[in-house]
Amino acid sequence: MRTEAQALRNDREARPDRVRAHSSQLQNQRIDAQTRQCLERYAPSDREAIGRHIETLDREWDVERYLQMNAGIVSLSGLVLGALASRRFLIVPAVVFGFFFQHATQGWCPPLPVFRKIGVRTRREINREKYALKALRGDFEYESPDSPSEQEERSCAGPLQQ
Amino acid sequence: LDLEAQLRIRDAAESASTDELTRRIAQLDNEWDFDRAVETEAALMGLLGLGLAVVIDKRFLALTAFVSSMLVLHATHGWYPLLPLFRRIGVRTQDEIDRERYGLKALRADFTALPPAGSRASERAAAAWKAVCE
Repeated sequence: MRTEAQALRNDREARPDRVRAHSSQLQNQRIDAQTRQCLERYAPSDREAIGRHIETLDREWDVERYLQMNAGIVSLSGLVLGALASRRFLIVPAVVFGFFFQHATQGWCPPLPVFRKIGVRTRREINREKYALKALRGDFEYESPDSPSEQEERSCAGPLQQ
Repeated sequence: LDLEAQLRIRDAAESASTDELTRRIAQLDNEWDFDRAVETEAALMGLLGLGLAVVIDKRFLALTAFVSSMLVLHATHGWYPLLPLFRRIGVRTQDEIDRERYGLKALRADFTALPPAGSRASERAAAAWKAVCE
């Protein structure tokens, strides 16, 4: 347990993921727990099964994508209502883009907790699962870690393997 | 950009110490990715359009509308009008940044502690999780 807590702390210090920093700890933990369950499920699997799962991870929508979609649609609806109904609806795009700017710079905006609650992950979280699976698949194994050229080859090739 | 990253990893393989690798990984973690650049730019342009609409002419709302639809386009299709510009100044996607990051982690020998295939699944999964979190 201690090493787990330590790994988590290391992670937070080493990787300033701005979305994670602004999500509730409970939501982060739940997302991490799901990733770990998935790793356990795939640890004994063969290469093809892991490869297939990595492909679905590459296709998974991350939280930025949901937020961009959401901001675009809400702001457009505000503009349309502003043009058709009342100019006061123009406050909608103003608020949306204001918060969107806050999200880009600081990492928090009002819809974020909702997306986190339904389990939408950041690209970094998705990639963490992906590279853990690649390690399980043996993509990073090499015979002699002392020879730099071989090391380099594996380090370049490991992350690229599909 | 891929080539540059590959050269940096080759460089690191030849000379870098563990501390140096750790420092580079921390640098990568602070790098602004493409989504973040797009979001900042879109928010500023959207607000600019609204501001100009209020102060000068309401036709500037077209700018806000354009930015909003481009955001939806980027989310669904991955294309964005400023994509070539951002790429030229070297903004990378999070996937590209992470590829370099985990390459450096492999060099730092973060993945060597994995129990061999055939040992208990839960142990291997825990070790892999620890390796990516470090």
